[in-house]
Amino acid sequence: MKLPDAWQTKLALCSLLSTVLLGLAGCGGSSSSSTPTTPTTPVNNTQAIEVNLGPANNYPNGVFTNVTVCVPGTSTCQTIPNVLVDSGSEGLRLLSSEVTLSLPAITDNSSNALQECTGFADGSYVWGPVVSADIKLAGETASSVPVQLIDSLDPTTYAVPQACTSGGGSDENTVEALGANGILGVGVFQQDCGNDCTSASSSPLPWYYLCPNGVCSAATVPLQYQLQNPVWMFPQDNNGVLISLPSISADGAVSASGSLIFGIGTQSDNALGNAQIYTTDSSGNFHSIYNNVDYSNSFIDSGSNGIFFLDSATLGIPDCTNNPGWYCPSSTQSYTVTNKGLNGTSNPVTFNIANADALFAGNNGLNAAFNNLGGDSGTSPSTDYVDYGVPFFFGRNVFIGIENEPAPNNAAVGPYWAY
Amino acid sequence: MKIFLVVFAVLFLISTPGWAVLGEYENSVPSDQQRMHAQLRQVAGQGYTVSQLRSTNGQEVREYVSPAGLVFGVAWQGPTMPDLRQLLGSYFPQLQQAAQSPRRRRGGPLVVKNKDFILVSGGHMRSFHGFAYVPSLLPANVPAEVVK
Repeated sequence: MKLPDAWQTKLALCSLLSTVLLGLAGCGGSSSSSTPTTPTTPVNNTQAIEVNLGPANNYPNGVFTNVTVCVPGTSTCQTIPNVLVDSGSEGLRLLSSEVTLSLPAITDNSSNALQECTGFADGSYVWGPVVSADIKLAGETASSVPVQLIDSLDPTTYAVPQACTSGGGSDENTVEALGANGILGVGVFQQDCGNDCTSASSSPLPWYYLCPNGVCSAATVPLQYQLQNPVWMFPQDNNGVLISLPSISADGAVSASGSLIFGIGTQSDNALGNAQIYTTDSSGNFHSIYNNVDYSNSFIDSGSNGIFFLDSATLGIPDCTNNPGWYCPSSTQSYTVTNKGLNGTSNPVTFNIANADALFAGNNGLNAAFNNLGGDSGTSPSTDYVDYGVPFFFGRNVFIGIENEPAPNNAAVGPYWAY
Repeated sequence: MKIFLVVFAVLFLISTPGWAVLGEYENSVPSDQQRMHAQLRQVAGQGYTVSQLRSTNGQEVREYVSPAGLVFGVAWQGPTMPDLRQLLGSYFPQLQQAAQSPRRRRGGPLVVKNKDFILVSGGHMRSFHGFAYVPSLLPANVPAEVVK
């Protein structure tokens, strides 16, 4: 099923809902000109973030922020707290249970509402409709952005397609399961799926769906109706993101406050400084070299709550007994890995891995932020990546360069990482 | 005998619409190919063969087959997760049990190290990759590391 020209945000429905349910007249202007402008007065580009255990008290090293969503073109808005900041995905996904606004559906010209299945590497998934919203972060606004509402009904409005559950994991459609009220994907791409979901030449990926007569089938979707990394849709400060988290104690901390800063080299607060640029391949990966082995699908992911690196047999340290999946060395270990971008930039990075059982038990179990939490990424030597999660971010400025967007002084074009 | 074999093969093609399945005899590569709209490439390794299916939408699956035709390992990469229910067959419940158990590990790769079932699933949006194998089904002198 492919309907490349037929997509529309349902502005008629938007008017109706606004008028009938919210008592407001219409949805207002829907134009979203993306002409770059240089404002004479810089807008506030700094969004507060905090590392804590999250709204369900179950997400160690979760990076959370507030996100304001509005009915497009109106001042009818809602601020959702405790949204996970994820550099490993693109687009805003919010639990429908936390959203009280009526946001207009994105439909095809047969009024079939677009649905999305978002799968994650750990086998879990979220499922629900794609709607349109203005997204406000700090002083920045992205207008009429496709956003996924994670269907938290039981049963869901449309039954979850079998292909969506084939990763084996849970439907993360509650605060408890997701560990957050939503996910703000600010990775290196403009859209979540990109061209792999637009192709009319093959069977559609099991990602976007249409459900005529209640039967859901995978569908191809033009880029502009896919979920968007909101940052590249800002009128300014739109070439990337800086995530800045402070240094913390090796014993961990109850919380850590930092900043999500929009733009790279666009204002006085987001200059690259000494950061080196590591461009990625078309899938967002770079090379990590350890003990002369090249792990060529490595990445940086603020949604991963540890550094996931090789396995216990290769590193010679034990897995934990109380906390499966984490490393428990008897004393803290230091590792140096060389990261190499596709542009040839190559530098060593050093991180520590401490005993996770001790970290989680410390401070009566109250600590949430850890800079030395590590776990396995596979079974060596078959693993092909290092997953640099939240511990990597502490005490660093990590820049995310969005695809097709230039770095300062045209030093590179995204996708890239810089730190 | 010849007729019998042909009928047998046709029956298999009809009854196994999915991938070749981990722990079962490879008999459905042609239908996998059709289902994935994929190009098939078969590569001989030392003591095993690899059937590599690559679809036009970027999904790739590799099936590791013993000389006797048994699928002892599978591996994948692509913009989304593959259909692991079909790929893993009777081993899928072991993945479900591991993936759905509560844990402090969040948002990263999944590693399952059961007695006779190993699975690694990692990556991020647009770049998922992983593998699974059954240690007891590895052909003689074939190390587990070939499955990747």
